[in-house]
Amino acid sequence: MNNTFNIQRFGLLLKRQWLEFGKIFLITVGVALGVIITFYTFSLWDVFFAERPSFSQRDLGFREPLFIIFGFLFITVISSSYFAHLGQKPKAIIDLMIPASTFEKFLTGVFFTTILSVASFTLVFYLADLAFVSKVRSSFATVSNVTSYTDARGQVTETVDNAMYFFTKNFPEKFKSLFIMVPFFVTSVFLLGSLYFNRFHYIKTAISVIIFSGVWSFILYNTGRLLFEGKIMIEHDRQNFKPTDAGAELAIFAFFAVLTLIFWTIGYIRLKEKQV
Amino acid sequence: MITINNLNFGYNKKKLLFKDLSMQLSAGHIYGLLGKNGAGKSTLLKNLAGLVYAQSGKMDVLGFDPAKRQPALLSQICFIPEEFYLPAVKIDAYVKANAAFYPNFDHTYFANLLAEFDIPAGQKLIDMSYGQKKKLIIAFGLATQAKFVIMDEPTNGLDIPSKAQFRKIMASALTEDRCIIISTHQVRDLDNLIDTVIMLDENSVALKASVEEITNKLCFKRVKEIDDTIIYAEPSLSGYNAVVPNFHDEDSKLDLELLFNAVLTQKNKLKPIFN
Repeated sequence: MNNTFNIQRFGLLLKRQWLEFGKIFLITVGVALGVIITFYTFSLWDVFFAERPSFSQRDLGFREPLFIIFGFLFITVISSSYFAHLGQKPKAIIDLMIPASTFEKFLTGVFFTTILSVASFTLVFYLADLAFVSKVRSSFATVSNVTSYTDARGQVTETVDNAMYFFTKNFPEKFKSLFIMVPFFVTSVFLLGSLYFNRFHYIKTAISVIIFSGVWSFILYNTGRLLFEGKIMIEHDRQNFKPTDAGAELAIFAFFAVLTLIFWTIGYIRLKEKQV
Repeated sequence: MITINNLNFGYNKKKLLFKDLSMQLSAGHIYGLLGKNGAGKSTLLKNLAGLVYAQSGKMDVLGFDPAKRQPALLSQICFIPEEFYLPAVKIDAYVKANAAFYPNFDHTYFANLLAEFDIPAGQKLIDMSYGQKKKLIIAFGLATQAKFVIMDEPTNGLDIPSKAQFRKIMASALTEDRCIIISTHQVRDLDNLIDTVIMLDENSVALKASVEEITNKLCFKRVKEIDDTIIYAEPSLSGYNAVVPNFHDEDSKLDLELLFNAVLTQKNKLKPIFN
């Protein structure tokens, strides 16, 4: 018997965890869908129900902050609750005694908190957006959805579709590796928090992240200032700044990937050392 | 089957609960683990199951180090904790999700145990009382056919008929390749069930002896007056219940409660008898 990883045992563990975690997970997804629908309904109320309905690109401007802020909340809440029960003796004993390896138990946690939570939030957001934006597009089918202008030579230039679907507008083609890595990094931090603390996992993790980031920024800023102030020239050349630089993207990706791996490793060790 | 060598454990590094504790447990026995509150009964069981880690010492459970929590060992351990949590699902769903981890799980035996404990098979776990839940996890644990059965206060929450059923089931669950250890402070619940007594006191094992050895060396009887031969006595309605050395090979029934109190209060008198 392989005592580290066995695909059949891993499958059994996924099924078992779904039995316990699945209900909470589905409720959370349901709540997320409700919140997203509420935001869309509230923001597009005048577009659909005003006496003289009108639509502009600004009416859909709430989507980006909603996706980022609520998406962050969703994946962090899921992550910080996954191993939270190990802080309670009655639940911890049953879970730790399940005949599966610590690696399999941790991997199951990563699957539920990172892959499933990110995928399900994206799907829920996509579906809600698809429904509402389709409704907008059909309601204003007779009106042009495209902003266009006529230049001095009388040439009409189309600029942008006003009612683009969220994932058409924001599809992270250029920074796709980063868009994948950031949720992984965020969930790895909160998953570690759920293992590290015995109570109030979310708030304690959030406070720890704030304190750690503050201290780290302070040290970095002051170290940089101490070492380089008056010694190197910093150019504020925005014209030559290339945000799509593959090297920069790769560096940021690597940075988040390494941090994620570090947090996962610490989380795994923490799970291994977990005592009742 | 299970060997503990010089185990040192404490929840606080400065205050050890076990100091150089050593012991061996063999297959084919039901051990009764007794001790005062805080003596470390549950902690010793957790050490054996790998739920806590010792400061030092060596433990061997079925050839494995329990601290590594390897699936091969975990599938051979049935741990019935005093406090436990069961999800809000039906019994069938619970069994379906958990039984597959145990290669020798016996579904027929599980169904028989449920029937014996009078638990309807289709019931939802959330609708069950604490006692019913306890009976369910005992039935599930025994049906895993695990070689090492650890029970922490298993009779807590069981009603009187269930306690009798429990004793009957446990007696029939003992096989030659199985080792059962039961911790309790309700010593009367283990009457006629255990074959070896382990008593913990003051960081170590105060007594480890089979029931046969105890009744060979000690006699439990009712006396009218106390004399110098008596190791320990407690007043009763018609005199005293006493523990005396069994000089004349008298047959007597082990009184666990009396023995327990004798071990705690008359350690010096009992030590030479069992060493």
